[in-house]
Amino acid sequence: MSLGMQMLGGLFLPLFPLSLVLNRGLARLRHPYQRALLIILWPQLGVLLVTRADAPVPAWLAAWALATALLYAYRAIALRDLGLWIAFLATSAWALLWLSDSSPGLRHLEALGLSAPLVLLTLLGGGLEALVGAVSTWTGLGLASTAPRYAAVLVLGVLASIATPLSPGFITLAATLADQAPGAPALAVGVALVWLLWSWSGARLIQGLVVGPGGRDRIADLSLPMAWVYGLAVAGLGLAGISLAGALL
Amino acid sequence: MDRWALLMVGLPLAGALLGLLLADILGRRVAQLSIALSLGTFVASVALLSRMLGGEPAATLALADDWGLLLLDPLSSLMAVVVSGISLIVHLFARRYMAEEAGYARFFVLLDLMTAALLVMVSAGDLITLLVAWHLVGVLLYFLLGQDVRSPTAYRYAFWTLLTYRIGDLPLALAAGLLFHAYGTWSLPEIFAAMAAGPQAQVLGMPLPEVVGGLIALSAFARSAQFLLHTWLPYTMGGPTPVSALMHAGIVNAGGFLINRFAPVFVQTGDVLHWVFLMGLVTAVIGSVLMLAQHDVKKALGYSTMGQMGFMIMECGVGAFSLAIYHLIAHGVFKGTLFLGAGGVIGQARRDDGVPKDELYTFVVERRPARQRRPWLLMAVITLAVPGVILVMTHYLVEQGFFHRQGAVVLLFFGWITGAQLIFTTYRMRTENLARLFTLMLVSFTVVVVGYTLISHAFDLFLYPDPALREGIHAAAGIAPVWFDALVGLVTAVIVLGWLFTYYAEQQGGRGRDWLAGLRRRFYGAISQELLVNDLYGWVSRRMQAGAERLNLWLRWS
Repeated sequence: MSLGMQMLGGLFLPLFPLSLVLNRGLARLRHPYQRALLIILWPQLGVLLVTRADAPVPAWLAAWALATALLYAYRAIALRDLGLWIAFLATSAWALLWLSDSSPGLRHLEALGLSAPLVLLTLLGGGLEALVGAVSTWTGLGLASTAPRYAAVLVLGVLASIATPLSPGFITLAATLADQAPGAPALAVGVALVWLLWSWSGARLIQGLVVGPGGRDRIADLSLPMAWVYGLAVAGLGLAGISLAGALL
Repeated sequence: MDRWALLMVGLPLAGALLGLLLADILGRRVAQLSIALSLGTFVASVALLSRMLGGEPAATLALADDWGLLLLDPLSSLMAVVVSGISLIVHLFARRYMAEEAGYARFFVLLDLMTAALLVMVSAGDLITLLVAWHLVGVLLYFLLGQDVRSPTAYRYAFWTLLTYRIGDLPLALAAGLLFHAYGTWSLPEIFAAMAAGPQAQVLGMPLPEVVGGLIALSAFARSAQFLLHTWLPYTMGGPTPVSALMHAGIVNAGGFLINRFAPVFVQTGDVLHWVFLMGLVTAVIGSVLMLAQHDVKKALGYSTMGQMGFMIMECGVGAFSLAIYHLIAHGVFKGTLFLGAGGVIGQARRDDGVPKDELYTFVVERRPARQRRPWLLMAVITLAVPGVILVMTHYLVEQGFFHRQGAVVLLFFGWITGAQLIFTTYRMRTENLARLFTLMLVSFTVVVVGYTLISHAFDLFLYPDPALREGIHAAAGIAPVWFDALVGLVTAVIVLGWLFTYYAEQQGGRGRDWLAGLRRRFYGAISQELLVNDLYGWVSRRMQAGAERLNLWLRWS
């Protein structure tokens, strides 16, 4: 029973190839609010199922989860589309929740902390897509020159997503490393590699979307009130990271 | 003391926040605000250092329950003065230098954030605070190097920097995890006390300090551009000059600081410091050789920094921890000056290329006298004897027991080679008054050696007041006396024979055998291509991206 629950959890805290379901689902949802809702709820269901199973995660399952996280983190380094990058990073991040040793309540918070910056990016990307058609590094947006407020929020969102201090993701990964390093050093090194690949893909995305001279057409930048809303959301992520640190570390 | 510490960390943060919020109102005056707060930060850090020099004991300042500790001790107070001092100079220089650049306010906000991150890093009293600051320095440097947001080239090399720094962040995170698990606390003073008191835990069948020390050393290698993790350093010249100065004068030295911070861990290690020495030695040699092959002044300075960082890490490897701190400060000051003056040097080079002319040309065409020559054997003996005598005498006067420390003897060798190189350079110089030049060189060499020895001794007493810890560090870096004596004999023989051969070859007009000339050409070819390390990394990263693209296609992007 518990193994069955855990395997079902593998759909929501995605394990390859079950992860294909999540990624195809995210690709089909066109509206940013729908995608944001899915990104919030999907891992919560996974954590619920896995904690309900009330059984320790077997070593082979932990290794499978890490392999999934590594696979999607690696594949993300070649991505040029913001929407796809969000989906791959979500898959990679949520798979790592299998390695968390936290209590059920805290694991829900960890999942939320990993999802929140991706939700922010989804909403921001939706707004941008409505303006320019596609948020892809192919299009040479050069946002820092053409729409600096969009660029600033995008950069902060990507940094929070790739677990830069003091985002909740940073605290979650630091706690996972601290949990795994003594007993399962191979898993800890794997988590560290996932983290490194996230940085690689995140930096490539920033460079592709933000850097460059930009197109000839001007983009209507994010309004000042909306920039404040996003800025406060990012600040909230930082505060959430600090409070999560108090609970996890 | 708490008030000064809070001011020291809080002022640059306030500068960044105010700069961000008031950029539209203040316009270019954002720089003045930033400089004023930067000056305040410097004053606060000097006040902290003066209290430490006055004998105030080390203390911790807690900003949160379990983490957020600031450790106020001799090392952090000294490093804070270095960081805030260099930051203040860079602020002052950048006010006018960056005036024509886009993103003026953003630059000062990032500079203030970087100053705050560096100050938190050097005064972090727990592993989480250290990790946060260590990590943020890499991220902020990425954006400072990419100040020109229209230039993909600047960002390409900033990306390499970020990636290398991340490679260095992760071993530190693993070490933090292991230490927390073993001692149940994130606090550095508590971990060090527990480590000194009790038996050591085992990880992977090895003592914990050995594993943790190795991981910390790896982090230090990445941050201080050691060989194979160095490629980002010479290529980040696309960033603004003030950022280059800050990076080379301050940020890149962090490896030496980290090893010093974890000195109580390294005291417990067996072989780690030997590997640290080896890595530093290889980096120092390769960095210096690559520097000599560069045609671009900033790139040459970049490789010079690599060589200096190698030397700094090597000093840690021989147990001269406090000397490494002195070295990083001295290097920071002179390298910062060189970077800030690089533009002037380029301008001067446009007027006079400075390439030495052939001796025959100067004699026949310019009708200047040929350089004076002394007998090669006499000069070789002087070259070898004089620096050695000066070094041994100076060290003997400062601390008579230095011969018992293997690390001190190893460093004497480097001083010896440096002094010998200086005399050889004088010998080759074209001058009408060789005796005068030689005397000036000898006096300056003596002053440098005496100053270096006295100051490093003072640093040792200030940073490591506990004699047991000082001796422990040197003991951890030492090897078996038989091996050491054999190595000393071998290296001495190599140096003596090498210099004799060099002088002899110089006397013969630099003519060599064909096979030697061919070997030289191949060697020059390899170093002019920077040993192909950059090409290799570029190839690997392209292959990895191509692999990821193929995988994505195969899995239909889901």
